[in-house]
Amino acid sequence: MSAAAPISRDQGRILFWLAVVLSVLMLAPMAWVLLLSFTENEALSRGTEAAFGGHFTLKNYSDIAGNSGVFRWFLNSLIVAVGQTSGVLIMSSLAGYAFARLEWPGRKVIFVIVLFGLAVPEQAVIIPRHQIFTTLNLHNTYIGLMLPGMSLPFGVFLMTQFFRAIPSEIDEAALLDNASRFRIFWKVLLPLTLPAQATLGIFTFLMAWNDYWWPLISGTDKEMYTLTIGIASSQVNFAQTEGLGFLAAQAVFAAIPVLIVYIIFQRHVVTAVSGGAVK
Amino acid sequence: MSAEIDIRNLTKRYGGLTVLDDISLSIAAGEFVVFLGPSGCGKSTLLRMIAGLEDVDAGEIHLGGDRIDGLAPGKRGVAMVFQSYALYPHMSVRQNMAFGLENVGISKDEIERRCMDAAKVLEIDHLLDRKPQMLSGGQRQRVAIGRAIVKEPKAFLFDEPLSNLDAALRGRTRLELAQLHQRLGATMVFVTHDQIEAMTLADRIVIMHDKKIEQIGAPMEVYQRPATRFVAEFVGSPAMSILPAASVSAGTKGASIEVDGVGTIDSAIPLPEGFNADGASVGIRAEDTRPSDTGLPLTVQVVERLGDRTLLYGRLPNGSDLVAQDLGRTTVQAGDEVRIAVDPSAVHLFDGTGRAFHAPEEA
Repeated sequence: MSAAAPISRDQGRILFWLAVVLSVLMLAPMAWVLLLSFTENEALSRGTEAAFGGHFTLKNYSDIAGNSGVFRWFLNSLIVAVGQTSGVLIMSSLAGYAFARLEWPGRKVIFVIVLFGLAVPEQAVIIPRHQIFTTLNLHNTYIGLMLPGMSLPFGVFLMTQFFRAIPSEIDEAALLDNASRFRIFWKVLLPLTLPAQATLGIFTFLMAWNDYWWPLISGTDKEMYTLTIGIASSQVNFAQTEGLGFLAAQAVFAAIPVLIVYIIFQRHVVTAVSGGAVK
Repeated sequence: MSAEIDIRNLTKRYGGLTVLDDISLSIAAGEFVVFLGPSGCGKSTLLRMIAGLEDVDAGEIHLGGDRIDGLAPGKRGVAMVFQSYALYPHMSVRQNMAFGLENVGISKDEIERRCMDAAKVLEIDHLLDRKPQMLSGGQRQRVAIGRAIVKEPKAFLFDEPLSNLDAALRGRTRLELAQLHQRLGATMVFVTHDQIEAMTLADRIVIMHDKKIEQIGAPMEVYQRPATRFVAEFVGSPAMSILPAASVSAGTKGASIEVDGVGTIDSAIPLPEGFNADGASVGIRAEDTRPSDTGLPLTVQVVERLGDRTLLYGRLPNGSDLVAQDLGRTTVQAGDEVRIAVDPSAVHLFDGTGRAFHAPEEA
């Protein structure tokens, strides 16, 4: 396969300006929300052009601090996202190890069944799942919010592939070093899967943090709202909110953890998105 | 603490495919034995069965008098060095060496002492805090050996440990392994497909082919008196030239072998009674030949100058290839026609089944 031809200076310039335009298009809504969040509600009620009119305020953020509902939703989102991420990492690692390394009857068939899970849309199972959770009294509980997201076929697939990529001689060396199966998993193989765990963890966290569909069904009690549901409920009852600036401040507040996670694990996110092409 | 290894009637199958068939072998305590054979002959499988990494379908393995084939790999008292080294990438050199000792509850002081002792022997004591990816291939190889040494095993198992090294480093490491064996006096089993490694390291070589042991013997015994045609062709570089024998008759000093279209090759091999010449062949090593006024007519195709000697690769009138040897300063060139004399005492005769016959050993 021949190497890609280097791009010319003109082509480079076109690509640069294309990137600039796309970046502006991507960032403009975020900048707009950020601008609104620092604008007085009263001024915005007369028209959103007030955002450019110098009506700067921090009141919307101080109102969040005074609104216990938002903090409660934030805490709920954090518990659900962290819990769900931990669950996915633990189960995917254990399942991946079992599928990749242990010999047991039905291993291949069950792996295929797990992969089928990738093809089943959530909407298709939502009613039976709702009924099961009703029967088990799991609605409006943290477990109820976390549990469906913990069975992540993609996570099992990813970890299985990663475990398979580790040379089996490493396990064999550990067996000769008199290590038990669990010790080999815990002390030798699991640390080698950290890049995959980081990728899986980030995506699971982001998915759980932004999830709207299941929390809307399961967390109907206001005390169990996650941030997405809480903020959406504020917008539905717009007349009862303190205004557009406050809603924008809520949205910014909700995005902060995601932003922090992204900044810390940026390298792993890029690696995951580029499918491992970036080393 | 070295121990003898006794392998009795060992068989290994993968489904319906038999890869080792009724293998029996005894390795003395402190002996350096090399399993040599082409790819797929079962030599690595045999080593892995001793290590416990492959199940035994039939037969027994004993180490130091104790039967071990039912024990887990870590309980057998063996240590193994892998071709890829199989170091734990996230652990330092020290942690790599200590891991096996921690698993059997050895005290920290004792672990540190053993790690330091092994590191000094292998001259890697300055690398103890480094991770494997910060080491060269040769250094990783030493760490892998160090990890085996600290366990003070009854036997060391090496699975082609030099294959990943470059030629110069391979030669040096070979020498160091030989010195290590002398120093430790340990039982060592070494798998390779490289006959130079086998010849230079082994007390005894086990030649394997097609699920079976073809021959067990000291390096020069295997080289000079191969038991079968396979061994004769496999051991030695350049490979032994094999010519088809049309007939074999009793000559004045030994068997006289007629090669169609070439002539007669005299040997010092006592002709076995009732020898069947069907499918028989004669083997000649290059160093047992020299250009002469009489002998086999050879058309030289390639001249390979090695400095101290020259190898002449050529073709006989019957189409068979022959490698002959001449002096380093020879004037023979490609395209020349020369006559090649063969030392009768060094000719090898093979019957149709591949069984070898040699001239009697000189007293």
